[in-house]
Amino acid sequence: MHKVTPLVADLLEFIAMDGCTDEQFDEMALRLFAHQFAANQPFQSFCRLRGVNARSVKSWADIPAVPIDAFKALPLRCEPPAAGDRIFMTSGTTRGGSTRGQHFHPLLDVYDLSMTRNFAQRFMRGANRMPMGILFPDEVAMPNSSLAHYLDLAKSAFGASGASQTFVTPQGMDLDGLWAALEAAERSGEPYALLGASFSFVHVIDALRQQGRAFKLPPGSRILDTGGYKGQSRELPLDAFYTELSQALGVQRTHCINMYGMTELSTQFYDDGNAQVPSVKSGPHWIRSRLVDPVTGRTVPAGERGILVHCDLANFNSVTTILTEDVGLDAEGGFLLLGRAEGVEAKGCSLAVEEFVRATAA
Amino acid sequence: MTTARIRAGYLPGLDAAEVDWQVLPFAQGDQALEVEVPVLSAAQMDALAARVRQASALHLKTMAVSEIIAVIDQAIARLLDRSDPYRQQAEAYLPVVSGYDRDMVRLGLTGFFKTFRAAQLHRFVAEDFANPKVLDGFQPTPKGGAVRAFGPDLLVHNWAGNVPALALWSMVCGLLVKAGNIGKLPSAEPLFAGWFARLLAEVHPPIADCFAVVWWRGAGDDGASALYAQADAVLAYGGNEALDAIRRRLPVTTRFLPHGHKLGFGVISATALDTLKAPAIARLAAWDVMRYDQQGCYSPHVFYVQRGGAVSPRAFAGYLAGELANLHQRFPRRPLEVEDLAAVARWQQGVEWQALSASAEGPADQLIGASSAAWSVAYSDTLQPLAPTAMQRTIQVVGVDALDDVVPLVAPHSRFLQTAGIAAAPAELFRLAGLLGAVGVTRISAIGSMSAPEAGWHHDGRFNLLDLVRMTEIEQSAELAAEPLAPYAD
Repeated sequence: MHKVTPLVADLLEFIAMDGCTDEQFDEMALRLFAHQFAANQPFQSFCRLRGVNARSVKSWADIPAVPIDAFKALPLRCEPPAAGDRIFMTSGTTRGGSTRGQHFHPLLDVYDLSMTRNFAQRFMRGANRMPMGILFPDEVAMPNSSLAHYLDLAKSAFGASGASQTFVTPQGMDLDGLWAALEAAERSGEPYALLGASFSFVHVIDALRQQGRAFKLPPGSRILDTGGYKGQSRELPLDAFYTELSQALGVQRTHCINMYGMTELSTQFYDDGNAQVPSVKSGPHWIRSRLVDPVTGRTVPAGERGILVHCDLANFNSVTTILTEDVGLDAEGGFLLLGRAEGVEAKGCSLAVEEFVRATAA
Repeated sequence: MTTARIRAGYLPGLDAAEVDWQVLPFAQGDQALEVEVPVLSAAQMDALAARVRQASALHLKTMAVSEIIAVIDQAIARLLDRSDPYRQQAEAYLPVVSGYDRDMVRLGLTGFFKTFRAAQLHRFVAEDFANPKVLDGFQPTPKGGAVRAFGPDLLVHNWAGNVPALALWSMVCGLLVKAGNIGKLPSAEPLFAGWFARLLAEVHPPIADCFAVVWWRGAGDDGASALYAQADAVLAYGGNEALDAIRRRLPVTTRFLPHGHKLGFGVISATALDTLKAPAIARLAAWDVMRYDQQGCYSPHVFYVQRGGAVSPRAFAGYLAGELANLHQRFPRRPLEVEDLAAVARWQQGVEWQALSASAEGPADQLIGASSAAWSVAYSDTLQPLAPTAMQRTIQVVGVDALDDVVPLVAPHSRFLQTAGIAAAPAELFRLAGLLGAVGVTRISAIGSMSAPEAGWHHDGRFNLLDLVRMTEIEQSAELAAEPLAPYAD
């Protein structure tokens, strides 16, 4: 197993704090930047291309944001490869390409602490353990999926033992098992938590509708969905999704929480329910975000839409600061996630990249 | 901010008060524009189709092609006259809806309209019909008997995209074959087609009911279905997925003429790369990239440049970058939405990462100029397959040893090929044209003319007019058999 370096030890302490000042955030961000600049050659070349060196970064916002596609092109890692590495890979479904982005974790201590600290506050909301149902394959079935690890960790750290279960295998969803668990929750009157991929919930909604039934889970029950539909289910607008979800399972929309995470990050964002969509997303004190013009990298004027850049201090081995392909808008207490940066099609009659890739993948 | 409101479309015989109008908002800088577009019910669409069909039978099918050309010529003359109100509103509002630079739109419109004057239209007809009189009546055929061409009674156009006035192409085609025309406005440029219809009606009132311009959202619902059900032929523009969706809605007997999105490229021979010619060709190439910010089906995405000339491919890429920088001063790129910026950034960064990962061995790929500039040239010294760039004046230049090397790079994408710009000596031009034509290229132009097709071109390699008509033949047997039945027969 990998040894915990002083930097990582300090980082774990940082995450364990109750919060931080701007100065403390910058200090840790700059330490991690100096480390990554020195230890990761491709990242250093990228910084130099952007005219940035180890001394020119004064604040987290000065750190060049690495586009997520770079996780496909190059190994972004500080530690040399080792047998015990966990490698999380992107699904590769979004653009049809066969190359998958890779995120190397020599140890998961930081990821796990980041996940549990944040999850306890934003999803458990003070509850200790709860019976949990997981609508996604476990990490034995999908060892390269960060979501499988995340959900397994949620179950082991926060699921009531004996009453928590994974209902999805690569072969499919165990609907009968799920109905039984939901019936048991209804009978017990104890709050139940159902977590999984957004598209799995669409399958659940559709199956319930087909059978003409609905559940009414006990008060305090909650749902966590994540990741969108990814072409795995029918697509429905956010508002319709949460309305149907709430009706199918009897969970109020205030308790339907969406998690926004990425394979390229080690920290997640949550909203405080989806009574209104799009909901405001926010993260814990060890991650910060800004909205940029993706071409210049400059922060957009207040009130304008931009592409999200995240600086995640828990990304100690890769790069802290990434340029996503997600469009966001500033909001009180966080940001609104407006979807992926698509829609460059259909402006003219010249072939756009998206259509070309779809056509050549088909 | 000033906000203008314009009612779009053209609906002969329908009371505007009974039509549902939707507002499409547009804004550029301090100018805002609200365009009202009509949403017709199935019953209204049926009524409109019946009216257009009937009017064209009465008024259009009875005109000689030359007369129709004269009417179009008059309308075009007004669109070329910068003091004409139609021209003025086109210059005022098309930049607002499309976002393109005003001067670019003004020059683009003039260049485009010029190809629709009477002389060009006669040539257009002659391109497809050896004897244009077959559109007016039966004409003798060499094999004996006679033949006449009939246009569809109802031709439906599904326009797409934001290239200003693009609807003119297919609408003129429909008129030349005397079809009743109903076109669906593209949401990205919902103005020109309606104006052109109104202008035609003004120029020659008898044909005022022979065409209509409608709109629907997305794939459309009942109104669209009603119209499709009545169409004899459907001309549609758009991505292959959208085209496929339209095709599925049509009866099998309806003629479907799709024009999908295309991927243009250029090839520059070493013979064109001496120190005098190379900068001039780079300037022309930059014009092709600049026009409508590469949104045209004919716009180049990649220039393949041969090594061995006095000017290297890398140096050519440098000239091209310089010319794009100059053109941006004259015709600034349209302001981009964050989604477009993200596409540009993705493309640029893809080049950068490729360069970083390859820097150890051999010559690296390069992005020329500041990545924040409103244009971008990527140079690669290794063979690169044909692929779309992010458009918005992002262009890939690839150095090649031999022009023939280009053929296998483009061949896999035959479905998306249309225009290739070529700068080469005559013998090279014809040899390469043969190779490129064989793999799917349908139009070869000079560099600098890629984005300005000539009058009478065969769009996507098809016959613009011939594809629309049905030929009716009187076979010789019928003619001979008629003779004994004549009143003067002995």
